[in-house]
Amino acid sequence: MPFLARFLFVSLATYSLLHLALGLMVSAIARPAVHLGERIRPRLAAGCLLALRLLPAAGAALIVAVVCVPSYLSNEPEAPTESVGYGCMLVALLGLGMWAVSIARGLRAAVSSRSFTQRCGQAGRLARLPGAPAPSYIVDSTAPLLALAGIVRPRLAISRGVLRVLTAEELAAALRHERAHRSAHDNLKRLFILLAPGILPLAASTRTLESGWRKFAEWAADDRAVGGSERRSCALAAALVRVARIAADSPQPSLASSLLGDTDQLAERVDRLLRAAPPGPRIAGRTTLALGAALLMASSLVVAILQPAALYAVHRVLERLEHFVE
Amino acid sequence: MTQDALGHLEMQVMEVLWARGESNVSDVVPRLGRPLAYTTVMTTLDRLFKKNLLVRRKWERAFFYAPRWTRQEWERKRAGDFMAAFLASPQVSGDLLISSLVDAVGQHDTALLDEFEKKIRSKRRELGRRGE
Repeated sequence: MPFLARFLFVSLATYSLLHLALGLMVSAIARPAVHLGERIRPRLAAGCLLALRLLPAAGAALIVAVVCVPSYLSNEPEAPTESVGYGCMLVALLGLGMWAVSIARGLRAAVSSRSFTQRCGQAGRLARLPGAPAPSYIVDSTAPLLALAGIVRPRLAISRGVLRVLTAEELAAALRHERAHRSAHDNLKRLFILLAPGILPLAASTRTLESGWRKFAEWAADDRAVGGSERRSCALAAALVRVARIAADSPQPSLASSLLGDTDQLAERVDRLLRAAPPGPRIAGRTTLALGAALLMASSLVVAILQPAALYAVHRVLERLEHFVE
Repeated sequence: MTQDALGHLEMQVMEVLWARGESNVSDVVPRLGRPLAYTTVMTTLDRLFKKNLLVRRKWERAFFYAPRWTRQEWERKRAGDFMAAFLASPQVSGDLLISSLVDAVGQHDTALLDEFEKKIRSKRRELGRRGE
């Protein structure tokens, strides 16, 4: 088998196994991590859950790129007589399949979202709302729509129904909430989540982490929108309830089934906003320090691994994988 | 009201009918700005009728078509349909790259919403007393 084909099979098989191992690790801590998230700042909690969700995919890719690829390239002879075991091929194809499914999912979401934005443009008109960072689509509909759509240059879409029921103060709070999503690049993060293959073999952990991230991302946007003010907090809670009321009064039966089931989340959010004004965002000095330390440790680890002896040891493991079930 | 998007020719025919009012096939054909077969336009009008966008009446062996809605009404309904379709989609909170205020807002028990509103009123009163 040609060198390039063997290299690709081994890299993909290594990726799959690492993804599986990291996935098992993340699965074990997913639920406790979501519970722990309630005790720390929502922004940090959302960041941690996002990192956990992306860890198997990104971690495996990083280890393959930084450790396995240099090891294979520096130690593997280019002899075309060598072949790859069926086991290795199967594991490699599993990795390829995982990526194909996720990329298709991400692309489908990107296309649907683009189509949604285009249809907002067709069905609505662009207008500048006070407090909105960019012109927004005002859609002539009674639907409970107030959303930030798009990835690179997200635009706000808001229905006339929502504009009609919100007071100026409530609208301002709702717009600040959406602006917070915009500055946190939440739509881009959604795309990353869709593009990252699910955590195998426990798919439930994927859902736990994703729903946890969505919840804390909302809470973080709430916190940023109210900025520690009880008055704004109350206005945002009122905006949420008024928009929920539109959905509740909507005559479309399909609406009932599509948006059903998040009563607990709404109750939690409104209660949280009314209990006490959530604190405003804080400059994350400690987070920067922790990130710097982690980066330093990772760089030292990479330097240690890239020593010839370590690369050779890794290559011996890769050789075993390459000839697995030959 | 149909939720299907209109094709280019369908839209052109609708424009003619909105501008001219009730018309038969022979009235529409010369106003489309390009040479089209009588039967093509007849089929298009029939399709628009089946899509519930036109009303028709028969007079001396010919059908006369008129728009069911004014252009403004149609635009409004189209926007409403689009939003209804969007909100009915199972992708709403999952696979759409959208940060929505309604993410966590579903079809709620109105009693629960009443309860929330009561709490909000009470909180506002409390804030008012504190002069905030």
